[in-house]
Amino acid sequence: MIPLVSNLAPLVCALLLAVTGAGKLFGRQTAQLAANTVLVRVLNDGRRATLALRTVGGVELALAAALLASPEALLPGVGTAVLGAGFTGYLAYARATAPESSCGCSAAAEGPIGVRSFARAGLVAAGGVAAAGADAAWWSQLTRRPGGSALVLAAAAVLLLCASADLDHVWLLPLRKARIKVFGNPLPSAAGERVPVAATVQLLENSLAWQTAMPVVRSALLDHWDDEGWRVLRYAGSYRDARGTHPVSVLFALDLTLTVDTAPNPAVRVSLIDEETEEVVPSSVLTPVPVRTALPLAT
Amino acid sequence: MSHSQESGGRRLDRRRFLTTAAVGGATIVGASALGGLDAEAAFAEPMDSLDTAIPAAFAEGRVVAMNRNVLDVAGSHGERYLIQLTNATSIWKLRTTTAESIEVGDGLYARGAAMPDGTIAADAVWVNIVNVYVTIRGIAKDRLHLTHGNEELVGHIVPDTTTASYLGGALTADLSRTRIGQEAQVLGAWRPADGNIDIARVSLGH
Amino acid sequence: MACGSTSLWAGEATWFCCGNAWGSCGSAGTGACGTCQSSKHMAAWPNLSAACWDITRPDLCGENMPRRTCGAVMNVRHQCSGATVCVTLADCGPRTKSFCGEATCCNGACRTNRVIDLTPSAFTAIGSLSSGKLPVYIYE
Repeated sequence: MIPLVSNLAPLVCALLLAVTGAGKLFGRQTAQLAANTVLVRVLNDGRRATLALRTVGGVELALAAALLASPEALLPGVGTAVLGAGFTGYLAYARATAPESSCGCSAAAEGPIGVRSFARAGLVAAGGVAAAGADAAWWSQLTRRPGGSALVLAAAAVLLLCASADLDHVWLLPLRKARIKVFGNPLPSAAGERVPVAATVQLLENSLAWQTAMPVVRSALLDHWDDEGWRVLRYAGSYRDARGTHPVSVLFALDLTLTVDTAPNPAVRVSLIDEETEEVVPSSVLTPVPVRTALPLAT
Repeated sequence: MSHSQESGGRRLDRRRFLTTAAVGGATIVGASALGGLDAEAAFAEPMDSLDTAIPAAFAEGRVVAMNRNVLDVAGSHGERYLIQLTNATSIWKLRTTTAESIEVGDGLYARGAAMPDGTIAADAVWVNIVNVYVTIRGIAKDRLHLTHGNEELVGHIVPDTTTASYLGGALTADLSRTRIGQEAQVLGAWRPADGNIDIARVSLGH
Repeated sequence: MACGSTSLWAGEATWFCCGNAWGSCGSAGTGACGTCQSSKHMAAWPNLSAACWDITRPDLCGENMPRRTCGAVMNVRHQCSGATVCVTLADCGPRTKSFCGEATCCNGACRTNRVIDLTPSAFTAIGSLSSGKLPVYIYE
């Protein structure tokens, strides 16, 4: 079995490298892809990162050709193993220093470096080692043991499929959909749970009270708490009178069980508390509406 | 009594005081408007939300240092901002929170007023906030697998925080109506450590 | 070009990030016009080009807004507060077709369908990022 895997490894590695190499070398998205990799920071320049990615693509294509043409030679296999080890090192470095960067591995799918990126790099390294040990050409192996070869190739295809995101829609999505159909949606249904704070904020923002108080409000939601059936939402604001501008807490109290679905036009209690004197500011500061001039226009 | 207990107690007292003020002497606006504000009068004049006596300012970038209540922020296009946080600054990081939760390396957007000394006195700061159009590619108990353009993302479900809105309806903790293959808008907090997202809300269309 | 006051459209405004920024903006780049930056008052319009229209397809929700190209300016006004921001078109969006019929209201007056996407700089001038969407009138 092991010689069979070894002898077919050049074919599998060559096909994989040909696809990923061609994608990097000729792909129209390579520049955009390179921009999101850690290469940009290492090489200090987007164009150099693109060039580096295309060069790697060229090396992959050359290795693929060598593996296909002279599968028994030691060098292409060793080259592939070194490339795989290099990929693994690059991924480890990128993950340690810029975890949000893209891997730039397969030229089609982007995304943070994850288990699959490492699995792919590991497979290339392992495939290279196996290919270096090949003692017969893959084409003679195919004709000599067609059944066993088909099995090995099928297993390799499944492995690569699992390690690549590019073909997820073919097998992974249908599988996940089927699982949800059988076992149900695993996410919480939360029937009868309390109304989320975000839903109360949404209710407030839909209300007349919000519309009336908006000219006074300056911050986004500053604090919130529940008390005796009320949900209190606190914002920071300011109002101006003859004595100048005063900082206030703008407080809204809403029934904590209501949402926009159940109360399209809710009653909301609004209070303004002067932050300096801690006194309730008469709601007359809300009417008439303070006159405010327009925002500066973009130039 | 420890310092945190003491400040926690003060906060409760303050909340109690504010609740009494909010519920007790409040103006009621809305369904049962009991002689509150005249809605028509309130809308008659268009109004702008920011006071132009103080020039409005906006900052975007990543936190490079924090010194007490001042954030040193490096803009994505080479700008540098010093952002002052005050008691009146709202801070969002997945949920409404306080300045203590801001870390070096976080991304942020801040709105405030430009001060004469060149700093920005922030009214509101949104930390690591992202709002992305995604396709749901997988659903697990504690996360959604998403694609954003060609990029793969994991959206973590945060108990007591993550909400969903279906067809523009009220935000709900019920996430069970999400489907694989659905397109959605995810608003959440980006995680600088791994590039994934903690989901605040997922809005689903049809 | 200055922002005008001729009414153009109405609907929901959402926000997006662009430019070489943190988070998920990097992959978005500088948008369809190559100029988009989160820190500037900019916007995405569903009918920026024919190719853009094919992506956003607002007509599937009954929104047939006119073509406006890169660099066009618009005044976006919060329906409730009247707060207004002047924006320059710099990208294609939002994906109107995916959220047909979605409404955002204030005091019973609702705006339906996502018709404009604002950068954080523009969105924060008239609302809160954590709200995600606002009801707006658009003028040019």
